[in-house]
Order: sequence, then C-alpha cells, then structure tokens
Amino acid sequence: MNVFLHELKSYRKSTIVWAISIALMTIFFLSLYPSFSSNASLVKKILEGYPEPVRKAFGISIDDITNFLGFYSYVFSYVVLCGAIQAMNYGISAISKEIKLKTADFLMTKPVRRDEILTSKLFASLISLIITDIIYLVTAFITAESVAKESFNIKLFFMISVTLFFVEVIFMSIGVLISAVVGKIKSTISLSLGVVFTFYIIGMLQATLNDKTMKYITPFKYFDAGYIIKNSSYDMTFVIIFLFIVIVSILLSYVFFFKRDIYAV
Amino acid sequence: MNVIEVNNLTKYYGKSRGIIDVSFDVEEGEVFGFIGPNGAGKSTTIRTLLSLIYPTSGSAKIFGKDCIKYGPEIKKDIGYLPSEVFYYDNMKVIDLLKYSASFYKKDCSNRIKELSEMMDLDLNKRIDDLSYGNRKKVGIVQGLLHEPKLLILDEPTSGLDPLMQQRFFNLLREENKKGVTILFSSHILSEVQKLCNRVAIIKEGRIISLEKISTLRENSYKRVMIEVNSPVKGEYFSIDGVSNLEMKDNTISFLFKGDINLIMKKIAEINISDVTIEEPSLEEIFMHYYTRG
Repeated sequence: MNVFLHELKSYRKSTIVWAISIALMTIFFLSLYPSFSSNASLVKKILEGYPEPVRKAFGISIDDITNFLGFYSYVFSYVVLCGAIQAMNYGISAISKEIKLKTADFLMTKPVRRDEILTSKLFASLISLIITDIIYLVTAFITAESVAKESFNIKLFFMISVTLFFVEVIFMSIGVLISAVVGKIKSTISLSLGVVFTFYIIGMLQATLNDKTMKYITPFKYFDAGYIIKNSSYDMTFVIIFLFIVIVSILLSYVFFFKRDIYAV
Repeated sequence: MNVIEVNNLTKYYGKSRGIIDVSFDVEEGEVFGFIGPNGAGKSTTIRTLLSLIYPTSGSAKIFGKDCIKYGPEIKKDIGYLPSEVFYYDNMKVIDLLKYSASFYKKDCSNRIKELSEMMDLDLNKRIDDLSYGNRKKVGIVQGLLHEPKLLILDEPTSGLDPLMQQRFFNLLREENKKGVTILFSSHILSEVQKLCNRVAIIKEGRIISLEKISTLRENSYKRVMIEVNSPVKGEYFSIDGVSNLEMKDNTISFLFKGDINLIMKKIAEINISDVTIEEPSLEEIFMHYYTRG
C-alpha cells in the first residue's frame, strides 16, 4: 500500500497536467462543432476538395462529420492519441524510472516482494489514468451537451469515450513490458512517442489502404468508433485480442522483472 | 550461530567475472570486514546477499534462510548502506525517511529523530538540495531507523568528513554492543582495522584469505626502518622473513616476520644512526595479497 501511495503521489502532477491539457483540447475542438454543422454543405464541399486517401488517413468521413457523433469520433481519435502517450509513459517509467534514477537499490532492499512493487506501480498508473479519463469524460460530456444542437445518442457517446481507457491499458501494458525487458531507458518520452506514433501511423495507413490484416496490428483500430456507432457494440474479435495483449504483456512483465538483475550504480 | 553463510557463491555477468566460488560465514554479533580493491567483487557479493542480483551458482543464507527465496522476509532485519546513495530527489528528507520506515511494521519516528540528531541532519531539506555528505547521512539514518539485526555496509564512509566518520563509527560500535552483526565492505583498510573482528580479503572475484584481525597483527610482522651511517650491501637484509625491502640512500626499510632475535642481531652488526621498529599497518600486510595474491 505504501508503494502504491508513493507512486500515486509521484504521478499527481503529471496526471493533472495531462487531464487539463486533454480537457482543454476537447473543449476547443468540440466548440468548433456548431460552425461545422450550421455550414454542413459548405464543409462537405471543402472536404471533398481533399484527396480521398488523405481524408481516410485522418479518419474524416464526409457523411458523418457533420453529425455530432461523427464529429466527436474525429476529435476523439486525437484524444486517444494523447491518452496513449500518457499511458505509455506511465508503463515505461514503472520500472525504468527506478533504475534510471538509481532508486532501485533503495526500494528493493526493503522487505517487499518484487511482484508487490510491480503490482503497486501498475495500480498507481491505472488509477492515474482513470482519474485523467474521468476528468476527460465529464468535460467532454458537458461540452457535448452545450454544443450539440440536435440530440445525440448518449449511450453511444459513452461507449466510444470509454475506449480511451481500453487503448490506454494496452499501451501501458506494452510500456511495462518494454521497461521490464530493457531495464534502463534513458528517455521515456522519446521512446513512448516513438512507439505510439508508429502504431498511429500504421493506423493511418490501414485506413488509407483499407487493409483488414493491418487492423490487428495497431491498438488504435481495435475500438473503431464507426463500428460502435453502426452496431451499438464493440467488435468482439478485437476485444479478445485486446484482453490477450494486455494479459500476456503484464504476465511477461512480471516474469522479466522477477528475473532481472539490479546492477550496481 | 552464523548470521550470514555464503557457500560457493559464483556470479558471472554474461561472460565477465563477478565473483567465483566465494564462501565465508559471519557469526552473530561480529563485525566482519570485507576487503578488496575496486572491482574485486565486494559489491557483487553484497548485492547477491540482498537478492538484487541472482547468483550463477552457489547459495547464501542470512539468519539461516536462503537469501533469494526468503529475500523479502529477511530484509525486515537488514539495514543496508550503499557507497553511493540515491533517493527520490523531489522528496523532503523526513518524507523519504517516513517512506523508508513505512516498509517496516513498527514505529520508527523516535529512532529517526535520535539518529538524525546524532548525525546532524536537517530533516526539512529536499533531497536534491543536499550535498554528497549529507545525502550519505540520510543513507545512514535510513539504514538504521528500523533497528536491524544485521547491517550491510558497502564502502560506507566515502563522502563523510572525519568528524562524521568518527560519529558513524561510534554509532556502529554502539549498535554492535547491542548485538547487531555488521558486514563492512571497504577498500580502506585502516577503517576496517578500527572496527572489525575478522576480515575476508577478496581479489579478482575470489576470497584469498580469511583471518582474524588479531591473528593478522600477531603474525608478528614488524616494520623496521634503519638509518645507516655507511651504505650496506643490498643482500645484507635479504634473509628469510624479510619482505618489501627498500633501500634509499642511507635509509633501509622492510617488513619482517619471524624470530625477532635474528633481525636484532643483524641490525646490531652494522653501524646505524637510528632505528624504528613498529607494528605495520594492515595496509602494508595486505599489500602482499593485493600485489602478489
């Protein structure tokens, strides 16, 4: 419990900064919606001017962008991108931070098992992400209510929004696994940006090429907003893949972290 | 009873040597010195005892329990002070100490106060504002605050000024009187000499000697320094028992081990202006192990 609280405290500042940034970004983008919807035909014309591959890569669908949920899914894809970076940061730093700052000696000569340490750290990251997500969700909902003139399906709105957390969990698990295998990571942020953007670009390529197999590679496509709106449910295949990746990454992280030698500074 | 039992402990880092076949025991209530030059394997041994690293082969027991299998359990009664201390920079000293104390299921607040007063440590400073020496003091308080039964010190004195070093040694003596066992690793022999009952000497990953401090001294090594009036031939003192022979102008110095009468006769036969015969420092005795091994 003490490690958990200590970790939670150490994430406090970063959680606040991420939550506020994501919330402000959401407010800004969503407040553009009224001008989008009132000039629907004009907007559609402008968008038609862009080549189709570009529109696809950025997830713009001309028919949907002028209804609220369509517009929201577009904005949401950037929120997920931010969330993924935050989650990856937390995942990577779970182990590598102690090694980089050389505090592993302090922590690991205490009467505490390694799996307890990792569990506490994972829960602290999860709680920080959940706090960020709740702040996001509340902000997004309030903004949505005030900008959307027409009524929108609230259930679908939440179904889309909570996928932020799912994507974050995947990236956090991958981050933990990387740091459990590699150990010392000099720059957390550059590694997490690198990994997250690689998957994001794969996602863009997938959308452009409409390649079905590529969809399995990038977590950004597991919870497709278009699919959710159309079917009012998640694609079960990807839910299973999601669970598989998370469980395997976390289990492997424990295995690697348990075996790891903590070298002298 | 043995507090630490190390049996044929071997550790390779990939292909490079850590330690090879290290065995020794530390008895309860003992101050045990662990001596060797840098890179000899002192820290490797200690880090294995603390299950920070895993041995390639061999095993070690602390309080009679395997140090890897029962690591978390035995660490309740171990205090560890590394040569270089690193803590969470953005914490205050007191918060770090409280965090440290929170791992042990007992109230350590009195002990924190007592120790930090003794070591002259300001509890309200932030860790990253502390000098190297002050950080070290945090390390000392942190290692002792839960009243451990075994102290493992890995080159603990670096960065402490002589006054603090003195206080730290007094603190260790007090703890030892209370029955605390101490494993003291160092490459500075004089500090080991002051505290320890026995020493193990490690070189290139292997234990090359394990002796009582008193035996080492009683081994009747004498440091002899002679100033002669007229030059003496080099071979004159090259007899059995003489080592580290040095001749410079009119000064001759060497270590002697053996029948003291023999060397006295030798000295009496030549014309000298001054003679000093003294206990050699352990450093000089150990130089044999260091250089010739």
